[in-house]
Amino acid sequence: MVARTVLRNEARLLMADRVQVAALALFGLLFVYAVVNGVAWVSKQNATIEAVSVADVERSTALASELQRIEDGGDPGSPFRDPRSPNVLGGNRGARTVAMKPGPLAALSVGQSDLLPFYYDVSIYTNEQTFLQNGEVANPLNLMVGRFDLAFVIIYLLPLLVLALGHNVLSGEREQGTLALTLSQPVSVRDVVASKLLFRGVLVLGLTLGVSLLGAALSSGFADPARLGLWCLGVTVYALFWFGLAAWVNTLNRSSAWNATALAGAWIALVVVIPALVNIGAGILHPLPSRVEMISTAREASRQAVNERSELLARYLEDHPEMAGAVVTDAASSAALAWAATEEVNRQLEDVATRYDERLAAQLAVVQTYRFFSPALLMQSVLNDAAGTGGARYDRFEGQVRAFAEEWRQYFVPAILAGETMSVASAAGRPEFAFVEEAPGAVFDRAAMPLLVLLLLAVASSGQAAMRLGRVRSG
Amino acid sequence: MISRIARKEFVDLLRDGRFRVGAAIVGALLVVSLGAGWVNVRDARSQLEAAQTTARDHWDNQGEKNPHSAAHYGMYAFKPRFALSFIDEGIDPWTGTSVWLEAHRQNEFLMRPAQDASAAQRFGTLTAAGVLQHLVPLLIILLAFGALAGEREQGTLRQLLATGVTRRQLAIGKALGVGGGLALLVLPAAVGGAAALMMGSGATGSLLTRGVVLSLVYLIYFASFIGLAIAISARAPSARSALVVLLGVWVVNGLVAPRAAVDLSGWLHPAPTAFEFARTLDEQMANGVEGIRPPDREAITQRVLAEYGAESVEELPVNLSGITLHESELYGDQIFDLNYGALWDTFERQSRVHETLAMVAPLLAVRSLSMGLAGTDVEQHRHFATAAETYRREFVASMNDDLAQNSRTGETYFADDDLWETVPPLEYEAPSLAWVLGNRSLSLVVLLLWVVGAGIAAMGGVRRSESV
Repeated sequence: MVARTVLRNEARLLMADRVQVAALALFGLLFVYAVVNGVAWVSKQNATIEAVSVADVERSTALASELQRIEDGGDPGSPFRDPRSPNVLGGNRGARTVAMKPGPLAALSVGQSDLLPFYYDVSIYTNEQTFLQNGEVANPLNLMVGRFDLAFVIIYLLPLLVLALGHNVLSGEREQGTLALTLSQPVSVRDVVASKLLFRGVLVLGLTLGVSLLGAALSSGFADPARLGLWCLGVTVYALFWFGLAAWVNTLNRSSAWNATALAGAWIALVVVIPALVNIGAGILHPLPSRVEMISTAREASRQAVNERSELLARYLEDHPEMAGAVVTDAASSAALAWAATEEVNRQLEDVATRYDERLAAQLAVVQTYRFFSPALLMQSVLNDAAGTGGARYDRFEGQVRAFAEEWRQYFVPAILAGETMSVASAAGRPEFAFVEEAPGAVFDRAAMPLLVLLLLAVASSGQAAMRLGRVRSG
Repeated sequence: MISRIARKEFVDLLRDGRFRVGAAIVGALLVVSLGAGWVNVRDARSQLEAAQTTARDHWDNQGEKNPHSAAHYGMYAFKPRFALSFIDEGIDPWTGTSVWLEAHRQNEFLMRPAQDASAAQRFGTLTAAGVLQHLVPLLIILLAFGALAGEREQGTLRQLLATGVTRRQLAIGKALGVGGGLALLVLPAAVGGAAALMMGSGATGSLLTRGVVLSLVYLIYFASFIGLAIAISARAPSARSALVVLLGVWVVNGLVAPRAAVDLSGWLHPAPTAFEFARTLDEQMANGVEGIRPPDREAITQRVLAEYGAESVEELPVNLSGITLHESELYGDQIFDLNYGALWDTFERQSRVHETLAMVAPLLAVRSLSMGLAGTDVEQHRHFATAAETYRREFVASMNDDLAQNSRTGETYFADDDLWETVPPLEYEAPSLAWVLGNRSLSLVVLLLWVVGAGIAAMGGVRRSESV
């Protein structure tokens, strides 16, 4: 009863206040701008993937017809471009393009997707250096600032909307003198404040979740209801946290101006300053190892490998006795020698990369724990995970590409060592790649801890507020 | 009179707990960010130096080989860190740090540090520039929102005006008072920064000049904010609404406008995708474009034969391969200039969108200038990339020239360390201050418009502010 009366009253008050209506409309506009940007970025990625896949098919078809022509007695041309030789068909000429499509909710959060590569060309020469390539062409200035996406609006601006609407739920009533009047009715302060917050909560969440669903509808977001559910859950918990904070500050019995200042201060600290401090702290305490070693190793290894090809081949055959019988050891097998050199360079690069990745993983693990200093950082990781634009999904893609490259090598290397020639049939039988999405359960597992902490913070602040409200007098 | 008002405002500030806490926090963050930036730049520089030495070592000791094979082996260039980048790291983490310089190809800069960091980096790292651009304006707002609105609420504005103070004097006095409070924070930081600069690099004159200009730019930015805060405080019905409006301005200035500019610049000046870029490059390399045709091997042969009065290639005193390779380099260079030039131009047009939007958010102007002066903007990345590319062309040309001059066509020819050592190291000279400011003239103009506009608005606001 109380709730309904308060809600109706609040709705009327809101509609009468032009400034608040204008503020809400402005927020609505920002939300729409964010969604439009996200949808445009996703369709650009999809168009790129479409283009590279078409080019991949064209390349395969051209090679197949060239093979057919040679098999029919045509001129094979230069031996370095002859598709019958396995190091050409499996090498750069016959490379396979592998891609990871944007996740179903990618339009809602750009995340790391503007920075990390989402497709690679895989060949027998794919090695650690392949994974050093840049992502999509982008102005570094734009990368630095970041996109105006829905995740940005939710993480940074949503709390401001909550604070603008919630900083004076109690103090405002007291200042206008309406609190005493309200409390002359048989209602408790707690119920009044709760109803007022409920109204505002429904408004803010209705707007945010509505726009999220709209964004999901515009890109294929409903295809993955689990991720969409995670997104909505995350947004709700985050908004609850800020409402809880606003309610708690209201119970301190200060003026609306004091509340506004304190809440703005909390927002600046939690959303702007602490994340920046976390970043610099992580940079100083756990500096990223330098990638430069990778270059030096590659240079050094390739220089030596070229001089020691025969030795390397011998060593390779010791390591792979199953190949020994198959290798043609006459001078014609320069491809086998070259491959031994390539293999040696790759092996050394892998050593460097493994060392590097271990240090990087340790560093990132520590930085991950720093997220718990700021609800904004927690929110970001939940939203990116839900949208599939966080580091985890890109790491997974890279891992699968690595495995695929190994499969690709397994297909061609025995033929290279045995000096075999490839046929139309062997071109058609080349391995195919398909990105395997993470199970929703795994995504939830990763998001569970940040969500839980956010929820605890929300419960703690609103619970504290509820307790204190039980003691508030109309004063 | 002005000085008395300023002194009163200044003393008020010093006694104000909010100022003391705010200034202490901002000051501490400034110190931390300067220190961290300094350590960061020092480490990055020593790493780069070591990498450059190793890379040169690899070049010098590559052993005997054909000079053109050496050009294929190539060299690595590493992007230098400019001394002032400890104040503003700018786009440095977002660009590649090294580039492979090899025959036939202009390569991209690879290994962007950001690619290895977690998504948390998107919140921005604490740098001195960040503190100066975001947090100092916040402090100014905190200091100045009540400057006039507060006096009016307390009823002291009317009293003050009754003493014969003109509103102009009042505005200037208030601004000076706030400025004085701020100076307590900013001056030590500037001195500390200058000291760090000296320690870091044995600062040269040009570096110090840049530092001074950088400080001036920030001072103008702060002055604009002080003017803006006083203008709004004078017009606002209450101190509280002045604060709300100013915080709104701060959010738009620091968060909304910069991000909005990113997507807007992409809409207005779309960059090609990596795939389109590579495909265009390959296609043009193979077939040429309007006015640029692939070298004609036959024509080159005839020309060289005529030049030396020789009947056949075997009679030539030079190696024809060296000459045709050089011709094909010259051809490739034109195609690279066309494509990379267009890409860089697109980036610069995008930067121009950011600078233009500074009309609504002065942060965008001061950020451009700050990155420019710190040597960490897109234009200076391009400047280095161009220098590295010029160097690539020169050393590849010298390899091909050696092949042409010191061997005959079809002959097996190896050069050794003596040739490798003749290649000079890449000596990069950073662009001059005038070059930087010329690039950033739009930002400079907009920032000056802001300070003048804010000053006028403050005066006008105070003049019209009701004393009741």
